[in-house]
Amino acid sequence: MDPVSLEIIWQRLTAVADEAATTLVRTSFSPIMRESNDLSCVIFDTRANAIAEDTIGIPSFNMTLGRTLRHILRARPAGEWRPGDVMVTNDPWIGAGHLPDATVIAPVFHEGALLAWVGSIGHQVDVGGSGWSADATEIYEEGLRLTPVLLRRGGVLNADVIELIRANVRLPDRLLGDLLAQVSAGEVASERLVELVEDAELPDLEAVSDQMSSLTERSMRAAITKIPDGTYRATLDLDGTDTEEIRVQVSVNVAGDALHVDYAGSSPQVRQGLNCVINYTEAYTCYPLKCVLDPTTPRNEGSYRPIRVTAPEGSIVNPRFPAAVNARHLVGHCLGGLVYQALAPVMPDRVIAESGSAPTMRAVISGQRDDGSRFSTILFINGGMGAGADHDGLSATCFPSNVISGSMEMVESLAPLRMWRKELAVDSGGPGRFRGGLGQVVEVELLGSQECTLSFFVERRSHPARGVLGGLDGSPAVVEWNGRHDGYRFKGRNRMRPGDRLVLRYPGGGGYGDPRERPVQLVRADAHAGFVSAAVARESYGRVVE
Amino acid sequence: MAASSNSVAAVDVGGTFTDIAAWDAGTGSLRTHKLLTTTRDPSQAIVEGLRSTAVGVSAVVHGTTLVTNSLIERRGATVGLITTDGYRDVLEIGNELRYDTFDLALRRPAPLVPRVRRSVVPERIDAAGTEVQPLDLEAVACAGQRLIEMGADAIAVCFINSFAEPSHERAAVKQLSEAHPEVAVCGSAEVSGEVREYERFSTATANAYVQPLMSRFLDGLGRRLEVPLFLVLSDGTIAGVPEVVRHPILMVESGPAAGAMAVVHKARELGWPAVIGLDMGGTTAKISLVHDGVAQTAHSLEVARLDRFKKGSGLPLRLPTVELIEIGAGGGSVAHVDQLGLLKVGPRSAGAEPGPACYGLGGLEPTVTDADLVLGYVSPEGLVGGRVPLDRAEAITALGRIGDALGLSAEDTAAGIVDVVSTQMATAARIHLAEHGRDPRRYRLVAFGGAGPVHAHAVARTLGVNEILFPADAGIASALGMLVAPRGVERVRSYRCLLERVDWDHASDLLADLEQAARSVLREARVDDADVEVRVALDMRYAGQGHELTIATNRDALARRDEKALRTAFEIEYRRRYGLALGGMPIEVVSWRVNVKGPPVLEVANATRKPAAGADRPKKRRAFFRDGGGFIEIPVWIRQDLRVGNVVAGPALIEEETTTIVVAPGWDAELDDIGNVLMRSTP
Repeated sequence: MDPVSLEIIWQRLTAVADEAATTLVRTSFSPIMRESNDLSCVIFDTRANAIAEDTIGIPSFNMTLGRTLRHILRARPAGEWRPGDVMVTNDPWIGAGHLPDATVIAPVFHEGALLAWVGSIGHQVDVGGSGWSADATEIYEEGLRLTPVLLRRGGVLNADVIELIRANVRLPDRLLGDLLAQVSAGEVASERLVELVEDAELPDLEAVSDQMSSLTERSMRAAITKIPDGTYRATLDLDGTDTEEIRVQVSVNVAGDALHVDYAGSSPQVRQGLNCVINYTEAYTCYPLKCVLDPTTPRNEGSYRPIRVTAPEGSIVNPRFPAAVNARHLVGHCLGGLVYQALAPVMPDRVIAESGSAPTMRAVISGQRDDGSRFSTILFINGGMGAGADHDGLSATCFPSNVISGSMEMVESLAPLRMWRKELAVDSGGPGRFRGGLGQVVEVELLGSQECTLSFFVERRSHPARGVLGGLDGSPAVVEWNGRHDGYRFKGRNRMRPGDRLVLRYPGGGGYGDPRERPVQLVRADAHAGFVSAAVARESYGRVVE
Repeated sequence: MAASSNSVAAVDVGGTFTDIAAWDAGTGSLRTHKLLTTTRDPSQAIVEGLRSTAVGVSAVVHGTTLVTNSLIERRGATVGLITTDGYRDVLEIGNELRYDTFDLALRRPAPLVPRVRRSVVPERIDAAGTEVQPLDLEAVACAGQRLIEMGADAIAVCFINSFAEPSHERAAVKQLSEAHPEVAVCGSAEVSGEVREYERFSTATANAYVQPLMSRFLDGLGRRLEVPLFLVLSDGTIAGVPEVVRHPILMVESGPAAGAMAVVHKARELGWPAVIGLDMGGTTAKISLVHDGVAQTAHSLEVARLDRFKKGSGLPLRLPTVELIEIGAGGGSVAHVDQLGLLKVGPRSAGAEPGPACYGLGGLEPTVTDADLVLGYVSPEGLVGGRVPLDRAEAITALGRIGDALGLSAEDTAAGIVDVVSTQMATAARIHLAEHGRDPRRYRLVAFGGAGPVHAHAVARTLGVNEILFPADAGIASALGMLVAPRGVERVRSYRCLLERVDWDHASDLLADLEQAARSVLREARVDDADVEVRVALDMRYAGQGHELTIATNRDALARRDEKALRTAFEIEYRRRYGLALGGMPIEVVSWRVNVKGPPVLEVANATRKPAAGADRPKKRRAFFRDGGGFIEIPVWIRQDLRVGNVVAGPALIEEETTTIVVAPGWDAELDDIGNVLMRSTP
């Protein structure tokens, strides 16, 4: 196909994926789906190669969808599918790494023949079990696990599966509403794909898919070739579980136009929900790589082919069933920053320092209002992003995830909470020639007269986001509960009492380059705005300011 | 200026031109005038232009890009912000989203108020509107004094939860206004009464930012005009001066709204129920929707984007606005070959200088206009309205440059550019329609702008649209649109509650307050109370969702407290949009809207044009049509010479002053008796 026709088809395929994602965002109930764009829609050819992905959702998810589809097709070969069939799974090892993420897959038929597959991932509001927390020891405690099952058969909903789901989750209407939203998104995509091939008079999408993938593959390989061959290593220590630290080791091997990322030497899996299944490890390795290697081309199967990701089985980044995995983002979100540390010497102008928002510190507060109704609130609040070779890190910004912070007025209106403070935290950005993004200080009080559950996902208390190439670390995460800094679970559930006050300090991003090289006018501007104190200006930047 | 009792002038001030149309209701005649905008003081061109039309007018309706430009160029007031203790950085933190997920060096727009001019004071209202901590008025006075010493000439007072109970904001505004009458002061709930602090604070500070400038401008213009002045708001309604002095930010989309009103005017004139407006100019294409003679509006928009085409890169505003989708596809959009070897068009534009390669001003990159020239759609002699010759050889050379990389001839590259740019517009329109749950095949197209009529047929084809209208003069259609627009205003307040638990006494008090406030705005715009039409709408959603649908209702249903009727209305709309309704799920109301409308400033009848009795022998030119098998010789008509009822069968071209209508194979075009060219796809 010529480059004009291909461009037009590509535009339209991406638009199909975007239309499906738009449908999903607007009809979903799960706040994490719509507020964090924690969803994804992808179109595949009949051989399960990703052709086009939406540009709205979380990019790293798109990669796991392809893995899920291949797995499902091994269990249920393409020939067994009929129009109107829809399959769902939330199995972490098959899907996106933890139970709340449901993957929905459907075939697209045209004139009686299989034309394509459409898939979506959406983060569900609740899947039963321990709820969203990091303290389960095995997957069985974490909620309802659906290995791939037919949610719909030939256009008719599978009543048995629906009954099973209903019986096992806290908010069945919302969960089913969200699954049906994913089904609708697939239908929208399906209709548009049929329109597209009829319009463009294409017999199928296979040739187009091959051509699209070979272009993106070539582009990714060209980018890899620019990195000098060699093996680049880095190590990351994390606070880990309530009792033991976690170490992640990476070696990035560049050989010509191929790149191999291996996590040998990383800690073994743990008996808490921090284990990060290989699908997720792979996705959160490849997305940050794409950002530094080949950020502007659209992604599909070809983008991933030149990159191989491996990790020892039984390790924290490739756990065996039945490990607990609910909070796998606490490790997974840190992989990008770690890979950047490894590549910093050979790609100094591309990488950024570690981000205070990786992993995102989360507090989930749930319980009953005084009138007996239930509430569950996730505080979507972010630390600062790492600095780069020519820019300060963005303050209060999530990377590699991408979470919209909800409105505090909305939080107060939906839950018995008073949000006393949400401000940028002075001196939280790691000093550097370019400063890390600032974290935030947030103060919350529980109102009413009912005790409730506070589920914490706090990392980077002892291991703040590191600077790069001479830049200094950002500030660590700090939690203060009624004035106390310990005596509760940082990765698990706690009881919160009415009148309790939490002060949460979200970590800052790491700095880039030697802070003493930062131009004095930038140090002064930071001091003037109150982003940097006179003391830090003097000690870290070597500048005296008013 | 002498005022005759029955004539009104519409004045549309754009970046380059000031368009004036004066309608004399007595004689039913329309006079128009176009002159260069006087950027330093736009009122100069307005007054001069009105004088040139030589019609004494009794009122002026005015639309302008002044507000949006001052935000884009950051030349507004020095604003100070006074906010609730604990929330100093709301404007800086924003919504925390990375609007481009692959750009690690992403920038955010700098807040309109830097941190040093953001002061906090002790006070607190809770989400239900109850006072938690009293307002410290002394702290307000100190903060105000300090901000003014720092040079502030406008102050925005933005307190948490003020949407639920604005009394603290009002008290602070009152005190500051009394202490500093020379400073513009506004409160956030007064400007935008909705929940979500970032959007509301952003709207209020933007309002304060443009307030001094707009007050000065309106004051000066009012004195020079000596007749009542009315202003076009972002949602296409008309308001009087006092409302705009209080809330100048409501005029932020005044200019583009006037363009959308051209579409409204045409849709009404022809009685078309569903219309897509396509305004393709030099740098962008703007897509608008009109249903039953009313422009599709939205409750929010973004201004002053760092990247014009990236959602999330600008400042959010919460106010009623005509909904326009803008994409980087205009005549000047530059075509290039991307990293993957594919042909891309835009969003970068060659602008007016150097402009497209065919202008011969040094532009080396091929643009959409170069493609249009090479394909024969645009005459090498240039446009009828200003015959500046276009250089086909330069266009061929520029196209050849990227054609080599694509392995295509210059002509095929040109055809490719036209295909790509049309697909971009059709795709944008389709996604936009899909977001509203609508089917493009039910629409007709109104196409204008310098490049719109050239590409309309291809956009229509991709969307499955069969009928296109090309107005005689879009500038004048805009002006007429302004004249026929209703005077109106919307007031909104958030009160979130499950539908079955609404405190109806509270709700009806709230609606009564909103209605009273809205009616007084219309009184300022010289509307008789008896002529006011009041509409009530509720923003509703299934409890737990994050997006609301605005459901129109009426006061009777609310007076009856008919929850069932409201539920039904919501579910009908939900099903229309998303294909399914979730029966049994609880529904909640988030915001309550009162929209009041009065008659337009003057009723304007259809402006009938005298049909020309011109030449009916067209010239000939070679032009490219894929469906026609390549380059073929086709007739070229001049629009002014067309006779009413003559059918121009495609392939053909109709040239006019500022553009060319491409009548592709499979289409017939015809001039109607009011000067429109109508093009229909032949069965």
